[in-house]
Amino acid sequence: MIHWMAYASFAIVLWGVNGLFMKLGTNRVSARSMVIWVTLGFVVLLPFLCETTTLFGLSARVILVGLIAGAVNGLGNWAVFACLEKGAKASVAIPLTALYPLCTIVLATAFLKERPTVLQWFGIALAVAGGAMLSYEPAAATVQEEQLNCAQ
Amino acid sequence: MQTERRQFPIWLWYALLCIFWWGLWGFLSKIGSVAASPLQMQILFTLGMLPVAIAMLLQMRGKLDRNAGGIAYGLLSGIVTGLGTLGYYAALRDQDASVVTPVTGLFPVLTVLLAFVVLRERLNKVQMGGMLLALASIVILSI
Repeated sequence: MIHWMAYASFAIVLWGVNGLFMKLGTNRVSARSMVIWVTLGFVVLLPFLCETTTLFGLSARVILVGLIAGAVNGLGNWAVFACLEKGAKASVAIPLTALYPLCTIVLATAFLKERPTVLQWFGIALAVAGGAMLSYEPAAATVQEEQLNCAQ
Repeated sequence: MQTERRQFPIWLWYALLCIFWWGLWGFLSKIGSVAASPLQMQILFTLGMLPVAIAMLLQMRGKLDRNAGGIAYGLLSGIVTGLGTLGYYAALRDQDASVVTPVTGLFPVLTVLLAFVVLRERLNKVQMGGMLLALASIVILSI
């Protein structure tokens, strides 16, 4: 059985590369256009997914939750593309928006009764602090470097 | 950089809005993954994104940007995100969302490294410290 950390690492690598694609994409097309092209990228994977599994047997509730999760993620995509479109650097926008687990943790603790251990809380705190520090960007430096990146 | 309000630039508002939407997505994903497989979740996830994309297209009155590079990066973004999400859902089946999500949330470390090489963006000392903290948290959370 593959350890959960192996799956998580796989996601980290692909999502990490994606941060670069997002910035390079929004340098060329609008945020709303990016949402459409990205969605089409997801659709490309659909035939493979549908060959592997079906939605047969899932309850209406689970299907509804999954569809809403997709819509909500699409809205999040639009927001981060708009953030990049409005001039944020990838090095700032991607780490900053990566703090979304804070919102997830609050919801999971409140509604799913999940209780992390003390050590896990420490790890979570380090992750949050690390994310916040990664996002620290003096305004002057941001403007200067963004002008440099406009050429790319 | 649009900084009409120097203290709180407009891009930061969008970043916070994104945090809210993606945070809600992480929560809903956890609920769904209890009964559905990662692959089933990914199908639902993709279908759920379609109405948002269609709404964007209607809002633009069909005037979609067709820059070849933009299209390529957009499509690639969707594909790698989709594949990465499969890994995320698989991890959620064996571990709590409050542990998995902060770990996968550290993917920006790689983005920052790639941005350093490709976009020539540079980290300051605080950001370097943040990277070290982020790496330390990965080790702790994987014990």
